[in-house]
Order: sequence, then C-alpha cells, then structure tokens
Amino acid sequence: MATLVHRRVDWTGIILAVVLTLAIVFPLLVVGTWAFTNVWRYPSVIPQEFGLRFWGQTLGRADVWTSITMSLTLATTVTLISAAICLPAAFAFARLEFPGRDLLFFSFLAGHAFPKFGLLVAIAGIFLQLNLIGTFWGVVLIQLVGTLLFMIWIPVAAFQSVDRRMEEAARDVGAGPFRVFWSITLPQAGPTIAAAILLSFVGTFYETEGAWLIGAPQVRTLPVLMISFINNQPVIQFGAVLSVLLWVPSFIALLFARRVVNSGSFARGFGG
Amino acid sequence: MPASPERRRPVGLLLVAVPVLLVLWLVIWPIISAVITTIWLRTPEGTQFSLETYRFFFSDGYSLSNLSVTLWTTGVCAILLLVICLPIALYLRFSDSKVAAYVQGLAIFPMFVPSIILSFALIRVLGPNGTVDLLLNAISLPKIRSPYLTPWGPVIGLVWDNIPLTVLILLSGLGNVSNQSIEAARDVGAGRFALLWHIILPRITNSILVAISFAVLGIFSAFTLPYILGPAAPEMMGPFMQRTFRDLYDPTSAITQAVVTFGFCIVFGLFYVRSVAKNRTP
Repeated sequence: MATLVHRRVDWTGIILAVVLTLAIVFPLLVVGTWAFTNVWRYPSVIPQEFGLRFWGQTLGRADVWTSITMSLTLATTVTLISAAICLPAAFAFARLEFPGRDLLFFSFLAGHAFPKFGLLVAIAGIFLQLNLIGTFWGVVLIQLVGTLLFMIWIPVAAFQSVDRRMEEAARDVGAGPFRVFWSITLPQAGPTIAAAILLSFVGTFYETEGAWLIGAPQVRTLPVLMISFINNQPVIQFGAVLSVLLWVPSFIALLFARRVVNSGSFARGFGG
Repeated sequence: MPASPERRRPVGLLLVAVPVLLVLWLVIWPIISAVITTIWLRTPEGTQFSLETYRFFFSDGYSLSNLSVTLWTTGVCAILLLVICLPIALYLRFSDSKVAAYVQGLAIFPMFVPSIILSFALIRVLGPNGTVDLLLNAISLPKIRSPYLTPWGPVIGLVWDNIPLTVLILLSGLGNVSNQSIEAARDVGAGRFALLWHIILPRITNSILVAISFAVLGIFSAFTLPYILGPAAPEMMGPFMQRTFRDLYDPTSAITQAVVTFGFCIVFGLFYVRSVAKNRTP
C-alpha cells in the first residue's frame, strides 16, 4: 500500500496532523474555553478565573429558551415530514419501474445546481406573494427543500444494497410483502436510513440562511439568535455558551454518522 | 416487492409524486419565476418587457464592486482549497500509517461544525484582541492586522468550511488510481512529480473539476460567513441580496441579483449535475 510514503517515520502525516490540529481544533478549543470562563482580560494568555457563572445567565434568558424550543420544533417537524414523503419515494426509486424514473430521480439535483442563497431569494420572492414570510410554515417549507436530496439519495443507496436473495428466500418460505420489508429489507437498510434522518435533523437544526431570510424576526432559531449575539452582544461568554449548546446535535451526529460520511458512497453522492 | 407490471406504474409515480412536486414548486418554478419577474416589469400601464433592473445592476458601481469581490473571493477560495486539499487527499490515499486516520478525522471534522459556530470561533481567535494577539503579545511581538471584517475574513472561513467535502470528493477520485499503475510507473523510473503529473492528475481531473464546481456553487452566494466575518462594503452577493430583500425591501432588485448569480454559476452547476448524474443510477 505505502507506495508514495516509504519512510519509517511518517513525517508528512505528522506535519499535516499538527497543521490541521492548529487550524481546525484550536479555534474551537478557544470557544470552549470562553464558555467556561468567568474572567479573561487582555493581555492574559489564560483566563483569570474559570467558572460556570455565564451558563446560569445564558440559560436564564427567555430568548435563548424560545429559540431552543423553536429550533427543536422546526427540525423535528421538517425531519418527520421529510421522512414521511421521501422514504416511500426512495423505495420507489430503488425498487419500482415507472415512466420517467431516471429523470425524476435526477430532478432532485436541481436544488444543488444553483447557488443556494440565490435560490432562497428567488423562493422568498414567491413566499412574499403567498404571505409566507415571517411564518413557521414558510421556514418549514424552505428547510424541507434542503433535506430532499439527502433523504432520497442516501436511502435509495441503502435500499439498493439490501441482499435481494434474502428477500426472495423469505418470500419462498411464504412471507408476505410487508413481512419481507419489515424483517429483511428494513433491518439491512435501517442504519443508513437512520443516519440520513439524523443528518437531515442536524442539517435543519443548523440551517441559518433560510430561517434568517424567511423567518426572522418572528421565527427566531438558535443559529439566528447566535447571529444577533455575535453582532450586538458585548458579553463574549453568552456567544461561547450558546456555541457549546448549539454544538450538541452536531456532536451526536459526529458519533453516529461518521461511518456513513467516511464511506465512498457519501462522496459519490456529491459527485466524487 | 412482488407486483404485477400493470400495478407498478401508478404506484411508483404515486410514491415519488410529493417530493417531485415540491422540487417543481420550490426549485424549478422560483427560478423560472425569478427570470420572468425581472424581465416583465410591472408598470402603471401594465406589465411590459424591460431589462431595466439588469441595466441598473451592471451600471451601478456598488453592485459591480460587490460582484467583483464575490468573484475574487470565489476564485481565491477555489485555488486555496485545491492547494490545501489535494496534498491531504494524496496523503490519505497512499498512506496506511496510524497518523492517516487522525488526519482523515481532522479533515472531515469541519463538516460537523456549523458555520455560525465557526464564525464566532474565528472572531475570538483572529479578531482584535483575539487569541492570536494574546499569544503574539506574550512573546513581545506586535498585534496582527486582523483579517476579520476584511475580504480575507470570509476567505478563511469559507476555505475552512469547504475542506471536508473537497477532500472527500478528491479522495473518491483518487480511488480510481490503481496501485499497479503507480508501481508500474515507479518501475520505469518515474519520480514523485512525474507520478503526480503523468499518472495521478490525468485520472482525477474530473474529480478536481467536480470539487471546484461544488465549492464555487457554495461560495458564490454564501451568506453566513461573509455576513459575519466580511466587510460591510463592498459585500459578497449573499449579504448583498439579503440586505436588498429584507432591509431595503426591494425584492425585484434582490431577485435580479439572484439571477445574476445563477448566470455566473450556470456552467459549474451544469457540470456538477452532469458528473453526479453520471456516477449514480437509481
């Protein structure tokens, strides 16, 4: 395997690891440190006082709770609707023959063929006429568009990778279509579909552009609140604590979805 | 599923109908409608064909400087992404050391960090009196000229944000380069550079173009990072469109700006869709 890297000590790897650690982990560590800091004044390199004082203050704010509730409600609603309409479609694309199947399957790429914010502005123009600006359902619709490709393409790949011989064997011993689906197809495709659902929830939870353009100020999600904290909030710790809170769903996704992301099929979904 | 051919047709179409209609209503129609509303303008005498909004955009100094800063940012980011991610992908493809797993984990990690947290982190590190300033001060060096609120702020953020998918797409392309072809070239005396230039690059050209197209489509109308890290003026197209739509309440001009971004990205969009479609069949 080691065709290009022959040295005993992997210097290339060590240099890359150090540079990437500094560039990627260091900024996040700084935010994490600020979240657990009571006092940190320039020019001290480390905080003068560590503590949890600002956690109480941040969690005591009504706007933080309202936006947490709003983000969770939105992400749950969008994910449930998305799963309800996309999973049957994914099954149909993977298993059934019908006219225009390929064309319809690739039509989901349309949303990724245009610069995203430009598309959002074009949609906002239509929502303006329909009085959907500033409404919960306006934000749900715009976020739903963002989940369509993921929630169809990843499950299609999952349904396709199910061992058809096992399904046939189950049918041969008399299992009905729903029994086959429940006992054979779903257990095999399930983990990948669960990862797609998780990624869809996390993607919606962090969606900022649509929520800001269509929803704000009436619909204020956690990322939208974070924007106003960054722009108008002189207390750094509020933003830092909110960042740590905000990262929780991503951390869960990191634990569960990394294998799917690392697999070749994920990159192929992006054209790799 | 066992189903007779006669039954299959309506069932398949029925199952895919809702998401397909959503795509038609919320992707295809807004794009067509955007073009129509910007060339058929409403006047007191009724709607009439006019290119006035585009004429205004391409004669307005502020719009043009926003467009050029967007083009500059996109170009610089695309080059930087390639320069940073290609060595990482090459290393990951041809190394099996333990460090490689750590490097891969780090390269993919930004995918799990939302842009809004990244923006805040970069302000705390690179902004005025940020951590870099603290460290420089500790070793008696002068403060840096912070990239925050300059055109370099969004560049740093956007490159950071786009590393994972660029690495994954390049890595997926490098999977097509067989070890045998590398070994064969080495046997006839090819050096590292010759290997890269004559064996590897020709085989991953398509992946490089896909990675660049994907990055360009994402960066050209990026909003969060340029809005928070970038200068107030000139601004990138994302914040410009947002301000025109929401703050100036001028949807027609905002939609004109959106159509202009579509125009600049259409080649990348078509190429991207074609490549992805070629790689996947339902």
